[in-house]
Amino acid sequence: MRIRAAGAAAALTCALALTGCGGGDAGPTTGASAETPKGELLIWADDKRAAALQPFAEKFGAENGVTVKVQAISKDQQTTFVTASQQGSGPDVTVGAHDWIGNLVQNGAIDPVQLSADQAAGLNPNALKAVTFNGQTYGVPYAMENLALIRNTDLAPKAPATIEELVAEARKAKTPEKLCLQVGQKGDAYHLYPLYSSAGGYLFGTSADGGYDPKDLGVGKPESVKAFQKIATLGEKGEGALKRSITGENSIATFTSKKCAFLVSGPWAIADVKKAGIKYDISPVPGFQGGQPARPFLGVQTFYVATKGKNKALAQEFVTNYVTTPDLAVALYAAEPRPPALTAAFDQVKGKDADLEKFVTAGKDGLPLPAVPEMAAIWDPFGKAEAAVVGGADPTSTITAAGKAISAAIK
Amino acid sequence: MTRWIQQVGWRHLVGVLVLAFAMVPIVFVVSAAFNPLGTLSSSELVPTGASLANFTGLFSGTGFGRWFLNSIVIASVSSIASVFISALAAYAFSRRRFRGRRVGLLSVLLIQMFPQFLAIVAIFLIFSTVTDRWPAIGFNTSSGLILLYLGGALGVNTWLMKGFFDTLPRELDESATMDGASHAQVFFRILLPLVAPILAVTALLAFIGTINEFLIANVFLTDAGAKTLPVGLYGLVAGERNANFGMFCAGTLLTAIPTVLVFQLLQRYITDGLTAGAVKG
Amino acid sequence: MSIMLDGPATTQARPAPEDDRPGRTSGSLIKIVLLGLTVAIAVWAAFPLAENRAWTGLAVLTATTAGLLYLYLTPRHIPLKYLAPGTILLILFQVFPVLYTASTAFTNFGDGHRGSKDEAVVAIQAASVTQVPGSQQYALTVATTGDPATGPLVFLITDPATRQVSAGDADGLKAVPGGDVTVGSTGRVTSASGYTVLTAGQAGLRSAEITALAVPTPGGAIRSSGLSRAYEGRAGRTYDGGCDCIRDTTTGRTWTADESAGAFVDAGGERLAQGWKVTIGFGNFTRVLTDPAIAGPFLRTLVWNFGFAIASTGGTFVLGLLLAMALHSPRVQGRTAYRVLLVLPYAMPSFAMLLVWRDMFNTDFGLINNLFGSDVDWFGGSASARLAVILVQLWLGYPYMFLVATGALQAIPRELAEASRIDGASAWGGFRRITLPLLMVALTPLLISSFAFNFNNFNAIYLTTEGAPFPADNPANGATDLLITYTYRIAFGGGGAQYGYAAAISIFIFLIVAVVSAISFRRTRHLEEVHS
Repeated sequence: MRIRAAGAAAALTCALALTGCGGGDAGPTTGASAETPKGELLIWADDKRAAALQPFAEKFGAENGVTVKVQAISKDQQTTFVTASQQGSGPDVTVGAHDWIGNLVQNGAIDPVQLSADQAAGLNPNALKAVTFNGQTYGVPYAMENLALIRNTDLAPKAPATIEELVAEARKAKTPEKLCLQVGQKGDAYHLYPLYSSAGGYLFGTSADGGYDPKDLGVGKPESVKAFQKIATLGEKGEGALKRSITGENSIATFTSKKCAFLVSGPWAIADVKKAGIKYDISPVPGFQGGQPARPFLGVQTFYVATKGKNKALAQEFVTNYVTTPDLAVALYAAEPRPPALTAAFDQVKGKDADLEKFVTAGKDGLPLPAVPEMAAIWDPFGKAEAAVVGGADPTSTITAAGKAISAAIK
Repeated sequence: MTRWIQQVGWRHLVGVLVLAFAMVPIVFVVSAAFNPLGTLSSSELVPTGASLANFTGLFSGTGFGRWFLNSIVIASVSSIASVFISALAAYAFSRRRFRGRRVGLLSVLLIQMFPQFLAIVAIFLIFSTVTDRWPAIGFNTSSGLILLYLGGALGVNTWLMKGFFDTLPRELDESATMDGASHAQVFFRILLPLVAPILAVTALLAFIGTINEFLIANVFLTDAGAKTLPVGLYGLVAGERNANFGMFCAGTLLTAIPTVLVFQLLQRYITDGLTAGAVKG
Repeated sequence: MSIMLDGPATTQARPAPEDDRPGRTSGSLIKIVLLGLTVAIAVWAAFPLAENRAWTGLAVLTATTAGLLYLYLTPRHIPLKYLAPGTILLILFQVFPVLYTASTAFTNFGDGHRGSKDEAVVAIQAASVTQVPGSQQYALTVATTGDPATGPLVFLITDPATRQVSAGDADGLKAVPGGDVTVGSTGRVTSASGYTVLTAGQAGLRSAEITALAVPTPGGAIRSSGLSRAYEGRAGRTYDGGCDCIRDTTTGRTWTADESAGAFVDAGGERLAQGWKVTIGFGNFTRVLTDPAIAGPFLRTLVWNFGFAIASTGGTFVLGLLLAMALHSPRVQGRTAYRVLLVLPYAMPSFAMLLVWRDMFNTDFGLINNLFGSDVDWFGGSASARLAVILVQLWLGYPYMFLVATGALQAIPRELAEASRIDGASAWGGFRRITLPLLMVALTPLLISSFAFNFNNFNAIYLTTEGAPFPADNPANGATDLLITYTYRIAFGGGGAQYGYAAAISIFIFLIVAVVSAISFRRTRHLEEVHS
């Protein structure tokens, strides 16, 4: 008995060993692979969007007599896409945020799309601007998002106009936490940016053509020091409105369990807030009194055509001529309530959902998230500087060090 | 009574203390799994609600059943195969003396020390070709992933088993060889049964290691139908925030079940002292 | 010593003479079946290689198969018979990736420098194709003059204003008489005499050809945008082989190839984003040694890294062993229940539990502060954060040591321990003199490997503190950072992924771990020989 089992295991092992052996031998010797023409379109998205896309992918497949496969990449979708593409194992279409563009372009991973004048006119101008990089349109946007202030109207009936007002309101509401704005141990540049910009700070200057100028780094400049001094007054040693214990994982949950009256978050938070049965309203993120307007970042969810896809014509057809139809945009909205980038789709759903308009209002002063590859160097040091200042570190030396670290990484 | 405390009581004390340490996070996960509004931020140990919504949602709304099956197949096959490969190598390293033996042992260990996040690029390089040539063992196949995992069969487990082979008296195989047994017979008939406990332990360790593996499975398996439990479960909490945390916890608990079952199955070998009897006989 | 190296003479097992007892026959049968299977698999694997004319691959496959057949048919090379299966797999899926990765340390491989120069040129040209100003987009139908699967492709395009249909191929455009075609409501041609219109499915099969087809026009070329629209586009930048440079067709600006940087650079030193992979020698290594962000906190991180690895390994070992000893007695009731429950932390997916632990340490909302009524800013202070990550490792890792130690205890003949007791030794004395040394024989290799694993335990830090807390003036290196998480941040944190640089740092780390492991390994030599 034992021998037989061992024999079976041995057979298996040898079988596996040998198949594997054949597999690797060829590895370094092959060049471009042969075509595998199956009329197949492969789409990569994150889990939520993959699920929402599935029925439309099937419909597109059935209408066109091709197979469409949607695969969910749960983690590191951008890096996985670039690496897989490079080796020819990537998809034909990938769905992701617009700030990937800079990196995807420098790796030659995506192709520009050629939209007709009508198609371009049907898109929200801000969304279209966000996917434009070096004068080219690099994808078709389908949804937009930006931060807003979500408040529990039972605890705080009035929308605060300034952050000082917000703190006063929160004190009146006597909630354990004043403001649910995620910071965490590493900070969160995206969520802090409205306050940072209101306090006068900036990340990159503007170049002549209206894009971002990576050579003019705002972090570490006197403006940023001043901004961080203001932010420090809200921190743990100050008002206690910003705390490192509020993280991306618990900020929404803390709000829904009524431990704070104010939440700074985006459209993705609404589902949870509704589920918890909280009466809420949405208003723009307030800025500092006498400061500049608080500008949230605008993010745009985008469909990209992969350069090394096996079926590029089909991918272009799907992205430029199918994604631009309102049906798909509305369905993606239903899966996750973000304002559609397609004006026709937006008009279709806005009557049913008052929140959309409010989010758009909150994003009125918003700035497109910089898509330049240099932006990758900002997130980490900037966030950590934020966390340190919120925890009580000296703003001047902290932000100066962050500025140095960022410019070292950019050069 | 003092005698009881000296001989048995302290054992219970240690057991209970460690058990408390072990169980706190697990109770926390259990409570989140049964909480219909499950979020990661809850600081309560006692569930604030009790419902099976997360469990039913897992089976009706996700490919959980499929992930489960894939994981079991991949983990079972690769753990059995890797234990076998490891045992073969451990025998050679323990019982045979050949040139490069110690260097070989050390290299086997050191190779595993290279950071995996860097190896991803090379894995794409290998398997892009394999997928073109031999789709049966390419991306999105269980067999391909098993093969890839077996690349690590000659690793820590080999060391573990070699250590156990070393504890077996050499006289055993020597006398068998005198009696005319071949090296294969010595290995299969005499040594393997004697190291049954450690085969069971390594099988369990390999099973757990494989069923929890995420980094490689995440890039290897992209097809919804091919995913394993960790990849699928991670997808529930990935993306925007973690509305699915309750479901994630429910899945985490269910993931532990096969491991516990395998442990139960192997417990007999691990704890019944087969070796002691064999040496005696 | 040299005798020991070669091993006792008796274990230099000579191949026993073949005989024909029943055991032998069934053994040979299995052997023949397995070898047959091996050959069958090799043949299966050979076909695709032969089809693709991958002769080198085929040669390696044949050589490997022949080598295996020889190995298992000859009575010699006994150790190799046992090592071959694992070694082959190891070479393919571990050694090759490691060598490949190590080789990238000598290149600028990373974001912006991933592919070849040709790929960069193609990417630059493709990214510069824009619609010719003032031109229209056309409704497109892909057709052929021959068989839908193989016939030459033709673009039938409809001018949106005039509804004039033209047929275009690589030779250019020519008008199609209005009477010969039917145009649908969308402007697309639905049928045309002399042409077979491809369905989307058929066109989908010939995607690469469709994408490659450019119909030359005076202003540029008409290209497809999907399967239903075409546009007249022009590449704004083209590659000029003569000057090995990229030229902007409108402004005339040029970027010359710089082979040492793997990028096209203009006179002012400005680079095009799309570069290529080039070998840069020891550049990455000198950068590791000179980068102040690495050299500065290196020693501190190294010391903590050792502390973490030793504490994690030692802590789990002591706890696991203590537990195994405690439960290693038939008099303990409920042993089975204890064992099952105690192994649970190991059965739970570790990445999930790391995230759960992270949240349990939250200052205001965490379970731990809640449970103990404390107000510790766990991840905010260096000491508490370090304690926290070690505690988490202890929780995750002790069941492993417990299992292994339990197995090891079972393997030790009970008589030995009992004999020592009869000799009058105390329980502790018996444990120290008899049980522990035997345990160490089995477990020392494991402790070394556990140390090496924990030394590079990326997830333990990355999924909990992510290196925090960070000193206010240095966002690059935190108090709980291991060398590996620190490498990850430097290589992937700013300016995209820098694989080459990361590989160079990894090689340095690898050398450190290797030296430490090798030294500890040397000291285990005597342990191997307890029975000889």
